[in-house]
Amino acid sequence: MRVELRGITKRFGSFTANDAISLTVEPGQIHCLLGENGAGKSTLMNVVFGLLHADEGEILINGESVAFSNSGDAVRKGIGMVHQHFMLVPVFTVAENVVLGFEPTKSLGRLDAKAAADQIRTLSARFGLDVDPDAVVENLPVGLQQRVEIIKALSHDAELLILDEPTAVLTPQEIDALMDIMRSLAAAGKSILFITHKLKEVRAVADVITVIRQGRVVDTVSPSLSEGELATAMVGRSVSLTVEKEDVVVGAAVLELRNVTVRDDRGVAVVTNVSLDVREGQIMAIAGVQGNGQTELVEAIAGLRHVESGTITLGGRDITNASPRQILDAGLGHVPEDRQRDGLVLSLSVADNLVLNAAAKAPFAKGWNRRLAAVRDNATALVERFDVRTTGIDAEVGSLSGGNQQKVIVARELSRDITCFIAAQPTRGLDVGSIEYVHSQIVAERNSGRGVVIVSSELDEVLALGDQVAVMFAGTIVDVVSPDVGREAIGLLMAGGGQ
Amino acid sequence: MTTTPVNGRGRVIAVLMMALGLLVAMAFGFGSAGNAHSVFTFAPVNISGDRPWHLGDLTVLTRWWNVVLGLLIIALGVETWVRRPKAALARFGGAAIFFLVALLFWASRSPGPSQVPFVNVTSVLTGSSAIAMVLIFGSLSGVLCERAGVVNIAIEGQFIGGAFFGSVIASTTNNFILAALGGAVFGALLGWLLAFLAIRYLADQVIIGVVLVTTMSSLTSYLNLQVLTPYPNLNIGNTVATLPIPLLDKIPLIGPVLFNETGFFYLAILLVAVVSFALFRTRWGLRVRAVGEHPKAAESVGINVARTRYRNVIMGGAVAGVGGVAFMATQGQFQPDYTSGLGYVALAALIFGRWTPSGAVVASVLFGLSAYLANGLQSYSVPISSEFIGMFPYLVTIAVVAGLIGRVRPPAADGIPYQRS
Repeated sequence: MRVELRGITKRFGSFTANDAISLTVEPGQIHCLLGENGAGKSTLMNVVFGLLHADEGEILINGESVAFSNSGDAVRKGIGMVHQHFMLVPVFTVAENVVLGFEPTKSLGRLDAKAAADQIRTLSARFGLDVDPDAVVENLPVGLQQRVEIIKALSHDAELLILDEPTAVLTPQEIDALMDIMRSLAAAGKSILFITHKLKEVRAVADVITVIRQGRVVDTVSPSLSEGELATAMVGRSVSLTVEKEDVVVGAAVLELRNVTVRDDRGVAVVTNVSLDVREGQIMAIAGVQGNGQTELVEAIAGLRHVESGTITLGGRDITNASPRQILDAGLGHVPEDRQRDGLVLSLSVADNLVLNAAAKAPFAKGWNRRLAAVRDNATALVERFDVRTTGIDAEVGSLSGGNQQKVIVARELSRDITCFIAAQPTRGLDVGSIEYVHSQIVAERNSGRGVVIVSSELDEVLALGDQVAVMFAGTIVDVVSPDVGREAIGLLMAGGGQ
Repeated sequence: MTTTPVNGRGRVIAVLMMALGLLVAMAFGFGSAGNAHSVFTFAPVNISGDRPWHLGDLTVLTRWWNVVLGLLIIALGVETWVRRPKAALARFGGAAIFFLVALLFWASRSPGPSQVPFVNVTSVLTGSSAIAMVLIFGSLSGVLCERAGVVNIAIEGQFIGGAFFGSVIASTTNNFILAALGGAVFGALLGWLLAFLAIRYLADQVIIGVVLVTTMSSLTSYLNLQVLTPYPNLNIGNTVATLPIPLLDKIPLIGPVLFNETGFFYLAILLVAVVSFALFRTRWGLRVRAVGEHPKAAESVGINVARTRYRNVIMGGAVAGVGGVAFMATQGQFQPDYTSGLGYVALAALIFGRWTPSGAVVASVLFGLSAYLANGLQSYSVPISSEFIGMFPYLVTIAVVAGLIGRVRPPAADGIPYQRS
């Protein structure tokens, strides 16, 4: 199917998310849409999929102009979308999810379960997408859930498949499998729109690359370009893709975990018997696919989650199940994974957020009274030093962009006297410029002799920053390796291959 | 991910069951005099006509039978301890039945304080079936609403409203079918209001629900005072006649309980079957459940989330409205705050029954029995206050919600307003 976008413009209030975007996807083509977070890729795809209405411009399918009032219309025209957050009902079976909205029925509106399962088996066989129709989706690994999404789109006779950041949640091996699936679908004549900001994947699989920046198409390039050239096109200036790290003498252990076991909210042990040492002047990168216990481990260290058994020692002090306040006072700097939920009070000002964990202490308070002058001085200095882009220190922190919100948290945590710095997903959702900055700050902490822990599901980040890489799988640390062992080896560990 | 079950919670309920068993054995068993007897009779009261089959009276030694019942409860507790959390709910239900039977043995023992030296099992079951029926209507209403993702706390309000208008219609027309229709329409109207505020204005569903209950309670009290009191022929309090099913109603015990019931009772049973089938076997049900679990996913395949929710909440309101009429039709004359919290018990039955129609029936039967006994036990001069037994459904619900009895999982999007992106 040939899909052509002509001059698509989408505005939200005064903000133009898509500005006269035109592109054409040919049949059997893997067309990559490359752009940073916030460049307008997802908005554009939601327009194509009928979830949003364009203010201007038109969509042509095989030369014919179409208008979608909802995603059902788009599906009927042969457009399928695999969303970044899966549109699957966790408690339904694979078959139920695939047929939802297009159910085969018998008399009285009864579901025809057999027909549904057969439909999936046919599609599985035809495109080599192996999955059990009767499996319950929530019991499937993420890679298979994504496969269900693809089957769902294909079952609606999709000729154009939109994949929105499909690799964010996958292991390297699952990514390879997905790439193979994409190639075989393209070979079968399906058109694919592949949205991503990951340069490696683009080069591996794309036929054509459309680069968008700040809502505009800036270039259409071929995948033969180098990663550096692609990054330059995406960001609009040359960027450093590597992190400069000088050699530092590694000192004594500042953070020691011994046989730590932690349960999640449902009471399931999601971290079991984890032991780990983080030394002065060392970045310990915890790698792993999301949902393998990293989140809960960091929460346990920061005192936000009960430690079932084992001990955590920070700078020689036992902080197991101490209160978050005690742990912060003991010298932990913590950048939480969900910055808007756990890192900031969005409706408070930048200045107040910058003293969130020290507001009751000198010099920001004296007795019962806050010392607002000190709070303001602190804010002015930190905004300057950490290059936070804001209309002022009194602006609500919620009005800042994601990258600047993250800078506020990093500034707050690093401006205190800490011995260990722990950052969960420090660059998630940030643009390349902010990533560079946050990375340089993390390395600076390490160079000044602090222990640093970063948790990241981005393998590139792990490899660029980590002095040591601890790989988590199913709640245990499978191995602690040097980043020099390579992405293949670490990818295998992330998939549980080390066990 | 590993899925080791929680150890602690399954054990808490096991310990509670063992403690309950011990209490039964000690207080109801050894607390009874050694020569005390308990008599269970089965002859139906108020039903004339010939009875081809009879059940004789059951006379037991109170002490030893209650000790055995206590031991059975302890055994169920031990089994829960060992095999948690599989079927913990069923075992807990069994223990609760044993407890109530032991309570009845103890309360009616003779010699003892009781004025009535026997328990008529048939009338206990008939009386509690009338309450269970109302609870079934209420919890089915909850199933319909919550499966689509809207919490209906307003069941109590729909009961009261349905009962009020049902009474007026039944008194003026003496036609309970019309009364049921009127109750359904009024309940549907309240359902629509709940859905409108919840879906259109994304208001907090629990708050709207509570507001609707309070409003209905006050409104019907006011109308009762201003309209029904001066015009008593609008509130005669005639009850609906039973429709015995030939032959089947002659079966001892279950005949009078199941086959000599009102049309409302049969309707409730029919509705359970219909809703259960529709929810789990049909396209409609799949879509409703998808809307209640993951509305965004439903929307992405062209299902209209708002319309589905409106439809279900309106249907749920209608069912609860009929439930209110059914209550009035079996209990008589409308009074202010007539349903005395049964709507909340229905909500508890919904949770205890894990948001399924069949589970709601089991829970309704259990809670109906306990609600009936809360009142019925007074005639035995039992030194237990009826309010204490009235707490039973709520205590059980707290235990269920706290995860003490197996794992309960409401629909994932239950109570969360849905906004189109």
